[in-house]
Amino acid sequence: MLLFPLCNAQTKNQKTETVKIYGNCEICESTIEKAGNLKNQSIVDWNKETKFAIISYDSLKTSKEEILKRIALAGYDSDTFLAPNDTYSNLPSCCQYERIKQTNTKMEEPKMEMTTIDHSMHSNKMDEMQDPNPLSEVYDSYFAVKDALVRTDGAAASTSSKTLFTEINNVKMDKLSMDVHMAWMKVFENLKEDAEHIAGIKDIGRQRDHFISLSKNIYEVMKISKQETPTYYQFCPMANDGKGANWLSKENTIKNPYYGSQMLNCGNTVETIKE
Amino acid sequence: MYKHIKLLAVLLGVLSTHILFGQNVVRYDLTIKDTIVNFSGKEKRAIAVNEQIPMPTLTFTEGDIAEIVVHNKLKESTSLHWHGLFLPNKEDGVPYLTQMPIKPNETFTYRFPIIQSGTHWYHSHSGLQEQIGMYGSMVLLKKKDDPRFRKGIDDLPEVPIILSEWTDIKPENVQRMLRNANDWAAIKKGTVQSYSEAIKAGHFKTKLGNEMKRMLAMDVSDVYYDKFLINGKNESQLSQFKSGDKVRLRISNGGASSYFWLSYAGGKMTVVANDGNDVEPVEVDRLIIGVSETYDVVVTIPNENIAYEFLATPEDRTKSASIYLGNGKVQLTSRMPKLKYFEGMKMMNDMMNMDGSMDDMGMNMSFQKMDMNTVMYPEITGNPEMKMDNKMNHSNHSMNVKQDIVTLNYGMLKAPHPTTLPKDAPVRELRFELTGNMNRYVWSMDNKVLSETDKILIKKGENVRITLYNGSMMRHPMHLHGHDFRALNGQGEFAPLKNVLDIMPMETDTIEFLANAEGDWFFHCHILYHMMAGMNRVFSYEEQAPNPYLPNKIWAYKKLQSESNKFHFMAENDFATNGNDGMVMFHNTRWSFGTEWRLGYNDEHGYEMETHIGRYVGKNQWFMPFIGFDWRYRNQNGEVEKNLFGQTNTKDQRAVLSLGAKYTLPMLVEFQGEVFMDGNVKFQLMREDIPISPRLRWAFMVNTDKEYMTGFKYITTRNLGISTHYDSDMGIGFGVTLNY
Repeated sequence: MLLFPLCNAQTKNQKTETVKIYGNCEICESTIEKAGNLKNQSIVDWNKETKFAIISYDSLKTSKEEILKRIALAGYDSDTFLAPNDTYSNLPSCCQYERIKQTNTKMEEPKMEMTTIDHSMHSNKMDEMQDPNPLSEVYDSYFAVKDALVRTDGAAASTSSKTLFTEINNVKMDKLSMDVHMAWMKVFENLKEDAEHIAGIKDIGRQRDHFISLSKNIYEVMKISKQETPTYYQFCPMANDGKGANWLSKENTIKNPYYGSQMLNCGNTVETIKE
Repeated sequence: MYKHIKLLAVLLGVLSTHILFGQNVVRYDLTIKDTIVNFSGKEKRAIAVNEQIPMPTLTFTEGDIAEIVVHNKLKESTSLHWHGLFLPNKEDGVPYLTQMPIKPNETFTYRFPIIQSGTHWYHSHSGLQEQIGMYGSMVLLKKKDDPRFRKGIDDLPEVPIILSEWTDIKPENVQRMLRNANDWAAIKKGTVQSYSEAIKAGHFKTKLGNEMKRMLAMDVSDVYYDKFLINGKNESQLSQFKSGDKVRLRISNGGASSYFWLSYAGGKMTVVANDGNDVEPVEVDRLIIGVSETYDVVVTIPNENIAYEFLATPEDRTKSASIYLGNGKVQLTSRMPKLKYFEGMKMMNDMMNMDGSMDDMGMNMSFQKMDMNTVMYPEITGNPEMKMDNKMNHSNHSMNVKQDIVTLNYGMLKAPHPTTLPKDAPVRELRFELTGNMNRYVWSMDNKVLSETDKILIKKGENVRITLYNGSMMRHPMHLHGHDFRALNGQGEFAPLKNVLDIMPMETDTIEFLANAEGDWFFHCHILYHMMAGMNRVFSYEEQAPNPYLPNKIWAYKKLQSESNKFHFMAENDFATNGNDGMVMFHNTRWSFGTEWRLGYNDEHGYEMETHIGRYVGKNQWFMPFIGFDWRYRNQNGEVEKNLFGQTNTKDQRAVLSLGAKYTLPMLVEFQGEVFMDGNVKFQLMREDIPISPRLRWAFMVNTDKEYMTGFKYITTRNLGISTHYDSDMGIGFGVTLNY
């Protein structure tokens, strides 16, 4: 009963076109067709051998562009729309068809100049300065541990902490100035202990417990041995069962290592450490 | 040839620029007319200015004199407000506050010097006209020799972008439905959050906890929109841009109630200004633009022969609008995944006290720095449903969770120059709590709507410092007319200047400004439906000169107050096999006049009407004392009924007055107690809208007169439901429910 008016409409306004859609396999086929099909509006039939799709649609209700846009949003390029890059990279590996290179060969050198102008415009944290600070390796591996905790990635935190442990042992103490050396000696043993613990376990909760004292001790040292680029001492009142906990970050933006994505933005900067 | 001359004459009329006392007068003629539009497949009424929606972009250079001539060809009055502009109070365009409404067929000229630069916009400040087309961009350029001119930014090609939304429902009706807690918008958006959906999502307890705390389903926005628009189109392309081009987008959010997420397929965006004021450039992946805010964003076209999508997604993520920058194939950007509403509900439950106030758990939130809504964002917190889907369970990807997305917040905005106020000026401290409730859609400040408050007097020359705390469950974009304020966001003397402040639930923000422009200035929530519900104040300068456009200010203020405290009408009737059940109600912010009836088809079943006149008390409006009048007639041969307390009455013929009160209990059950003038008492428990599934509602009622009722309603359209109920008086019945 419902079909009749539909067929009627289709004979009047139905259009059929053949278009190329990039893809690989059967999974691609079902994703493409599922994205393109819409009840009473469009039917898509994609052939994985030829990479061509036959699309039939009611031209009063929709258009070829609308259908191809839906398919691109599901991850498949056509000659009208390119899929979002993250959607493409989330496709199953068998579906990662070869994309047409987007980079334009005509891109000339002067364009680079424009980007450099751009950089001076916003004071970015991009600049990687060669740091003569003998503790910079320790700091860097600390930040790697912190970033892993932000991502709630216990395995990565463990690996990074192993590096941190090595770096702590590698510090050439004779290169440290008097006051830094004093501060370093105070926390040295504790730093090693926490780094070793985090390296030895993958349980994110216990890693975070150790990270509280680890952060505090790194802070004690950094207060004395400042870096050229600013480091931000940050605090989240909810961490550590509501007792609050600190950490150090190279960015002023809050990315909380104690909660990761759940409360990523909880906290604020309490101190900026800079030379 | 003749045609050309005519065209030229029209052009000259529109843009006649001439030098006067060394200043450029830039004139625009705006003709406001009714029109019919078709954004959604249906033809609907809208308002067009110079035959277009949005209204034309007005461009001025700092130092110009603006002369804008408004020809009102509507059948109703209108006005135009210049959002974010510093101007004499009488040019501000708020009817009954700074001028009289512009009547039908009247011509009104706004004339003021342009004394600032930046991206601004303009809109109608009359009723709900802004929702149906009366919004447009306003670009104020810096002079070329301005010392603040920024090379590499102010000399880029630029595009005005105005965001908006369209609903097929008349905005007056939208407002009425919101006040009536009509959940049609939620059904359309798929955000009813019913029990069946809760159980499916494993969140039954969350839903139960939510209703225990007397909350309606939470959402990030309240209105269902059929289309979202960028410069009046859902999809459009600007093909003039080539690879390597940098483009400055001057974005204004002209939406009536939608916040928009902005993202770009061609990489990061550089934010260079906010609310018309320059900020230190900051690179972000995305930002949210509050209702009526403006942001200037610089984007780059990375490659040749590809157009890059600039995407505006409303906060509820139901749909989106796009504009493609460049020529060739379109590189899309990914759509924002659906919100995890039950996670949001859970978060709300944790934050909500039983008495309806909120507990921030000591987090001291401010300036969007901590977005509690993040718990609902699958792109940040991961998508649990994806893991359960076996087909998607490929080892190489467990849904890319992008924690390194840089989202703009107010803490990142920094003025390029110090913005400090005069140190020796006296400081006036004010504090407002933003209040309101979803159940009756009443929005207020300190639990008072505009019609319950006087103007707030301030003195010229003092520094006004306002602390705002948002104790309501929705975010509010608070807008101050005629001034920029400093948002004290932790940037010290470089605090950014703004004129709209989005404040999220539980946040406390402090703003300050120098009172330097005498007059009466509106301070209000810019969500149109919140403003029309009364979430407004007026700052009035002491000892100001009279306004020639508004001779009787006392009378005018009363008119202004009544605009945002209107009575709304609601009606419902169930045409069932066993009788008619229905109600009508007139209500405003505090008062309710309502009548319910149960009309049988014969004398034996009888006819019954209950009228209540009540007043809602408290900020959550859970309590309503009322006086009532009951009338009933039926013929059951004098059978005497006894209630639970042993009091008797035949109910055959009865007309009595009563005193009573209604109170909303946990689980949103309405408890009603009533004493009648004949000494009888009645207590009743009732709830009519228990969401079983997205469209199925369960109702029950039981009282001490030993009457009871239970029923189901299936909502088929906005005004129609199919229902069945069993009533102790009339038995079982089936019917259709019409509601308005």
